[in-house]
Amino acid sequence: MRTKLHNLLLIVGLSILLAGAAYFGYREHKLVKEQQVIKQDYSLVNSITFGLFSIDTWRDRLSDVMNDRINGYSITPQQKKDIQAAVEKELHTMVAKVIKEIDKPQKSITGKVKKIAFHVLADSDSLQAQVRTFAKTIVRKVSSPSSQARLKDIASSKMNELEGQTFDQTSEANEQVTKYIYRKYQVQDSAGFEKTVNQRLEAIWVLTIKNTVFMLACVLTALLLWVAMRKQVHLRTTLFVMAVLFAGVVLVVGLTSPVIEVDARVKSVDFILLGEHVTFQNQVLFFQSKSISGIITTLLSQQKLEAITVGMLILLFIVLLPFIRLAAKGAHMFYKNNKVINYLAFEASKWDMADVMIVGMLMTYIGLNGILKSQLANLNIHTAILTTHTVNYTSLQPGYFIFMGYVIFELVLSYLLRRMAPAFVKPKRYRNIKRAEK
Amino acid sequence: MFFYIENLTAKKNLLPRLLLILGLAILLSVEGFLGWQLHTLSSRQEQIKSDYSDVNSITLGLLSVNNWQDKVFGMVNQQVKHFKLSPKEKQELQVEVEQVLYALIDKAEAMVNKPQKSLGAKLKQLVVKSFVKTDKITAQVPAFARSIIAKVDNPKQKAQLSTMAMSKFNEARHSAAIDSTMHANQSLTDKMFRKYSVSSLDALGKKQTALLENIRMETFVYCFGMLSCVLAVLACWWFLRKRVELHGTLFVMSLLFAFILLAVGLTASMIEVDCRIGSLDFVLLGQHVVFQNQVLFYESKSIMGVVKVLFQQPAADSIAVGALILCFSILFPVTKLIATGVHLLSNRKIAENRVIKFFAFQSGKWSMADVIVIAILMTYIGLNGLLNNQLAALNIKSSSLTLITTNNTALQPGYIVFISFVLYGLILSTILKAITPYDAH
Repeated sequence: MRTKLHNLLLIVGLSILLAGAAYFGYREHKLVKEQQVIKQDYSLVNSITFGLFSIDTWRDRLSDVMNDRINGYSITPQQKKDIQAAVEKELHTMVAKVIKEIDKPQKSITGKVKKIAFHVLADSDSLQAQVRTFAKTIVRKVSSPSSQARLKDIASSKMNELEGQTFDQTSEANEQVTKYIYRKYQVQDSAGFEKTVNQRLEAIWVLTIKNTVFMLACVLTALLLWVAMRKQVHLRTTLFVMAVLFAGVVLVVGLTSPVIEVDARVKSVDFILLGEHVTFQNQVLFFQSKSISGIITTLLSQQKLEAITVGMLILLFIVLLPFIRLAAKGAHMFYKNNKVINYLAFEASKWDMADVMIVGMLMTYIGLNGILKSQLANLNIHTAILTTHTVNYTSLQPGYFIFMGYVIFELVLSYLLRRMAPAFVKPKRYRNIKRAEK
Repeated sequence: MFFYIENLTAKKNLLPRLLLILGLAILLSVEGFLGWQLHTLSSRQEQIKSDYSDVNSITLGLLSVNNWQDKVFGMVNQQVKHFKLSPKEKQELQVEVEQVLYALIDKAEAMVNKPQKSLGAKLKQLVVKSFVKTDKITAQVPAFARSIIAKVDNPKQKAQLSTMAMSKFNEARHSAAIDSTMHANQSLTDKMFRKYSVSSLDALGKKQTALLENIRMETFVYCFGMLSCVLAVLACWWFLRKRVELHGTLFVMSLLFAFILLAVGLTASMIEVDCRIGSLDFVLLGQHVVFQNQVLFYESKSIMGVVKVLFQQPAADSIAVGALILCFSILFPVTKLIATGVHLLSNRKIAENRVIKFFAFQSGKWSMADVIVIAILMTYIGLNGLLNNQLAALNIKSSSLTLITTNNTALQPGYIVFISFVLYGLILSTILKAITPYDAH
């Protein structure tokens, strides 16, 4: 009777903890998914396709610079002098040409009269002497404010014409994307979007940590309960089955939360054109964030046979087998002599590759991070006219650590089970041999 | 080694054993041959693909002066020859020219009207005044200005200007630096044309695609053949499961099969990373510019190649990962195969040694770490349809946008062979566990 009561109390207590763990695990899962979506949206809006790779964007940036140049332009004294010299030279040759034309031997009477009249009225030296004053008049006229305004008008209308002849398809797509994203996040402009995204990501980060801690706290409490009651043999089965359920919750959350996030960006490109800065900020070169289940679905959704094969193998060894083995461990408590259950509970660890997955993911992360870092470092340029700055935000995500939590938990469970039921660990044949030796 | 075999063998078992060895030796040589073929095919495929990416490389396309020359030629031509002033611009220019002309006339008039001292000068002034009517000249200014502008806008003049610009452009075109890069590009394409005995880029592409398709089929056949050999060995185990006296021989032969799988799996290329810009399509100064399939980056790597790349990284953690892969893909498997042999064929003391037991029974799954690494790399680098999917969800055609795609990244036969090796190794150690007379834990 007392055993039953104890059992009931234990089950109720642990069920509450389990529900807590499941709730926090679910919240955690929701949060990291939301984070993933936000980051994906961010990388879409800031994609390099709409920035550095877009002719439309380049055109706009360059035409801004050119228009600034044109509008801010005024003729400097030095340029005035140069123009003056050029105009004078032109006029001198013109005058010389005219005089030469008149001085040609004339045949007709009118031609001869004209020639004489010209020489009476003007002589070439005085004409050449007046060139300077005329040139000055021209330059003064051309550099007058109203004249400059007119010339600027002509130049900018020509610029606009050139702009109209330069385009690609990005601005339309970009507009569609930004409209969609701004509506989704209820912001007006890119600064607002940036702010909202940062705020939300920060809030999510805090909440994620909180939830992870709570979830792990529930699991740890359960383990502590176990340690405290390890002497109570009659409660063992209940404790173990509950622990298996806890492990199941951790496994589900670990499998569905993102594990590795790859985020390579060109933080800024800044180059100087005609003395003005042309800058591109936060260009996302590459973004990927995936959970283990995401990795498997990606592999399975490929057309290629080898990718599907690998996807099936990973699904089998990293998702199905761990679940089946957990179930077998729980079932072992009730069916001690079922061969299949015992094999799965004690012998199949060779096929259960959750621990290999942990090492494999870590290796992938470090390797990918290292290669990305060195590749991005090659893109860092610091010269007088061009500065680029790349960053690599590749990181391990909560899912990785939760999955690692599961693997450790599973090890503890296996260890405890082996201690609880040592008789099942050795295969029959070996036991027979040992017995024969004795 | 013979100690164990002799132990189990009675004389009457000699014939079946010899037959078994002979049969499996033939199968083994078939597997070895297939493996060798697979290895050669894989390196040939790598060669063709790297040739393909050389020819389609971005340095020969988007970044090649050669390709831009014609386009720039077109642009300059268009801009100079079709330079046209809009009516509004013409009007403004007209006003400008008129203003200058008026100013000049004013100046001239002022000079003529200046009070003169000498008699001759006064006389001159009088004559000029009576002959030259400034009003008349002023009235002619607009027409005069128009004719000046018409001269600027005249097609003949523009044609002349454009020829001039073109000749300048041609001069620049034949500068030494440009010539040398053009020469290098030309010699590269010529070499490729000779190598594949074709005469145009289109034909080269077609030929390469055809060759690759052939190789793909052959690779598939050889791969399948190798797997069939291994399956045949496992079938042998099934048929001979009752013939305990043959298990030792069969196991040693099975190990040899595993070694061949391992050797091919390690050296044949495993993953192929292909990063390219699918298409660049834009209009620049009225010229439609299109570049397609610009290969930014192509690498085909075997496991050994991956290890080498990681070892070449400056950071210590990458080197550590390289060491781990080396460990899981070469040291562990080789040690494992040897350990299983040792466990089966030596006496109890050695067979139950902890290290031998670990390698014989527990180490197999760690080779799966490499498989996992490549699979994850593949999903992260190779299949990045993320942007495409997002754009498709918004009904935006992505074909006209400039996207970096890595869709041609693919797993290679070496990977399949390596996975087969890992699975085969796991099955072998399960078999060993079943047939060993010693403690396997």
